[in-house]
Amino acid sequence: MVDVATILAGFGDAFTLWNLMFVLFGVVVGQFVGAVPGIGPVMAMAIAIPFTFGLDTLPAIAFLVGVNKGGLVGGAVPAVLMNTPGTPDAAATALDGYPLARKGKPLKATKMALFSSITGDTFSDIVLITVSAPLAILALRMGPVEVFALMIFAFAVLSGLIGNSLFKGIIAAALGLLAASIGADPEHYTPRLIFGHYEVYDGLPLASVAIGMLAISEILRRLSQIRGRMRPAIVVVETDDPNDKRVTWAEYWGCRYTMLRGASIGTVLGALPGIGSTAAAFMSYAATKAGSKEPETFGKGNLHGIAAAESANSAVVGANLIPLLTLGIPGSVGAALIISAFMIHGVQPGPLLFQDQGRLIYGLFGAMVLANFMNLWVGQLGLRFWIKVVSAPESMIFASALLLCIVGVSMATGGLFGVAVMLMFAALGYLMTAFGYSVVIFIIAFFLGPRFEISLSQSLAITNGDLTKIANYPIALVLLGLAVASFIWFLSRSKVDEADT
Amino acid sequence: MKLGRKILSALAATTLFVAGAAVAQDWQPDGDIKLQIGFGAGGSTDVMGRVLAQTIEEQTGWNVIAENKTGGGGMAMFTVISKMPANNNIIGLGVNMPVMINLVKRPDEVPFNLDSFDYVGTLSRAQLALIARADAPFDNLAEMVAYSKANDGVAVGFGAAPQKLLMEVVNKQDDAGFRFVSTEGEAETQKLLLGGQILAGYSAGTHVPYLESGDFKMIAVGNNARHDYAPDTQTFVEQGYNAYVDPYWFLAMTAGTDPAAVKAIAAAVDAAVNSDAVAEIVANAASSTPLNLGSDGTKKMLVEGLDNVRVLFAD
Amino acid sequence: MTKTADRASGALFVVLGLALYFYVFPNNIETVDSGWVYPSTIPNAVAIVLIVCGAILTVKTTQQGLPPAREFGMALVFLALLSLGIWLVSVVGFLLAAPIIAPALMLAIGERRLLWLALGCFATPALIWFFVVQLLDRSLP
Repeated sequence: MVDVATILAGFGDAFTLWNLMFVLFGVVVGQFVGAVPGIGPVMAMAIAIPFTFGLDTLPAIAFLVGVNKGGLVGGAVPAVLMNTPGTPDAAATALDGYPLARKGKPLKATKMALFSSITGDTFSDIVLITVSAPLAILALRMGPVEVFALMIFAFAVLSGLIGNSLFKGIIAAALGLLAASIGADPEHYTPRLIFGHYEVYDGLPLASVAIGMLAISEILRRLSQIRGRMRPAIVVVETDDPNDKRVTWAEYWGCRYTMLRGASIGTVLGALPGIGSTAAAFMSYAATKAGSKEPETFGKGNLHGIAAAESANSAVVGANLIPLLTLGIPGSVGAALIISAFMIHGVQPGPLLFQDQGRLIYGLFGAMVLANFMNLWVGQLGLRFWIKVVSAPESMIFASALLLCIVGVSMATGGLFGVAVMLMFAALGYLMTAFGYSVVIFIIAFFLGPRFEISLSQSLAITNGDLTKIANYPIALVLLGLAVASFIWFLSRSKVDEADT
Repeated sequence: MKLGRKILSALAATTLFVAGAAVAQDWQPDGDIKLQIGFGAGGSTDVMGRVLAQTIEEQTGWNVIAENKTGGGGMAMFTVISKMPANNNIIGLGVNMPVMINLVKRPDEVPFNLDSFDYVGTLSRAQLALIARADAPFDNLAEMVAYSKANDGVAVGFGAAPQKLLMEVVNKQDDAGFRFVSTEGEAETQKLLLGGQILAGYSAGTHVPYLESGDFKMIAVGNNARHDYAPDTQTFVEQGYNAYVDPYWFLAMTAGTDPAAVKAIAAAVDAAVNSDAVAEIVANAASSTPLNLGSDGTKKMLVEGLDNVRVLFAD
Repeated sequence: MTKTADRASGALFVVLGLALYFYVFPNNIETVDSGWVYPSTIPNAVAIVLIVCGAILTVKTTQQGLPPAREFGMALVFLALLSLGIWLVSVVGFLLAAPIIAPALMLAIGERRLLWLALGCFATPALIWFFVVQLLDRSLP
């Protein structure tokens, strides 16, 4: 392992003024770009990479880490303030964040998102810094069969999000899977349902589907309801109670178990490449809602809902670095971008990274810790700015948001084709919402679909087509058992809900 | 920031001029040059393409913008380039294998052929290797086939179509009974190898550090020639299977581009490919070395490559 | 009214599922000789789920209300405006199209104050241009 002198030298490198500046700059850029509808955190990083060409390795990586972490915090802002999440993982935050903002407490809602995001992020960073090596070995044990079982478990937990009709929930999930199956199939690479458009050979562009379904369709719905005088897009209700504009310590501390559960779910899913922050955020949300004594308050501005979603999706990002730094395997697009930054600066990720570049890695860890503090500080200031911006008239805000989504999606997908796809999914999302089909379930199924199909294929190949061999995989068996148990539990809970209303 | 880059590139151009290494430039682009990359942001092609664009910009003073046009390993990008009117500004960077496989397998559906482009050159050749866990009970293809027959099939990971085709040639010839495990790419293949869920798999470079760390060993070379870093590992052809895969990163423009522009751009690309910056990134991102076949060489490589792909698909 | 919404959407999904299974998939998904999961495996499963669940929904309806017709109409208007706008971007580029799209959208939303309209027309596209082209060094569509 790395000796103490290297660790201290690494942390020392991170805390130089020069590096501090780059972390701060990265956090500011990340929070700003991440909060702009249509761009989001991953896009922010992709844009930032060319700027690091001329920098030394540590400031370059520190800058990108700052952008990544800042982007996460920024990503929650449009979800909470306007119900137009730019990324699907922030959609879980919007479920309770937006209702609270509508009640005239946008500052409270965004601050809760900020605090729980940083809590989850810090949790997974600590896990990364202290026990990444054993966790990586554990992640290696999770082969295709176990991952397949884990996905079944995830779907079972997510069934807790299905509203009043089981069948409509299943239809929404089926439509999501259908959208996910457009593009080359994972086993034979045949172009599937592409209708001659090689642009979608690798699947529908994620940004187009997510922003179309989640943001544009919501904007369409809201625009169609506007009548008469123009109002500000969000109103801060002036009350005598200062607690309406902040999160009290009691409220934060009251969410400790929620955040701990969210951060744990996020860390575990983040350490396993391929499942991702969207599933983590929604699983945490569903588990918190199901475990709550007052599930009927969720979706109406419950702080626990915000805390559950943000702690989980932020924890994923730190944990994504576990397989990256220990094995050289990126767990997400964001992590893949960090790998390319490593490569551009002449560092080869892989099994020897800690050995060859120990000082750099501990410098990176130092930068991550710093970035968390700066996120908190910059976030407090930034939130006030965004709430001011969103207090402009609805006409101005929505028109600008639509323009930004067009620009952002065309940058993310490399042209107007992606924007056209975005519009199609906006129409679909609008219709689905109007007819009572959950857009959120569609999106989760869409994002998990490709992984589900390839995991199924891998599991069949490894068990030689005989799924009864699953009996030889104890972890998979436990996960499948948990899946059955939680599915039954969630169904019985939703029956109780219906009886109440 | 844009201003900063302008100043930087101006400085770099001056240095080059002083060094006397600047390319003779009769032709100058009218506006920006766009280097379209047929893969997503963050992958090895993307990284190499961006450094290439940056280097061309520094060496020529042209404004070179790199942008991602993802889809089908370059198919989406080349489809668009083949359909656009001839221009002197847009260069596509892709990999030959996805293009050639689609041209062989779906000639009626692919809207272009090899004559739809003017070729600029190549960037490098990927080093495709069949690797296995260091403790796997076989060291070459013959032993692997024998072990597979005796043990109900070896699970082999692959992350792209050509890798599977190569393995199917072995399967057909010797009835080895390999079980193909599809992965999302070489990173996932390596995860499954390290986790012991598969015994062998394909890698195009990122396995080299694992050879040093003693986790993996090489079974066979997928290319037509052995790799520099592992001179003892034989190719598939040397081991008795008449098939190979030579993935090249190549650059092309719309057919009918002004020959003077193609010539100037090809010269600029050649100078950049031979620079230290590109050599470093090709080594880091693909564990390979820069290799430019030139305009004519690139076209020849693609024409001959098509015949080779037909061999891979032959029954 | 309340039951018609689910009946209609359920029936639509039955028809969609049938069309996908018998027409769209066979014509747009290649067949392969061997393998574990065929290219058509998941799509066909989806089609069957749509047919079955859609059929059940036509019988087992929920109290699903629909937005009033005016809202559907307005949503359609905005969708059409956006499509036109994107077409315009593809023809003349974002910088020329945005000062037309933004005020058009704002007028349709109901904004009549000249100052705000002017801000939408000039300030928003200018800010986006500065942000994307100058700060981020990316090109606009």
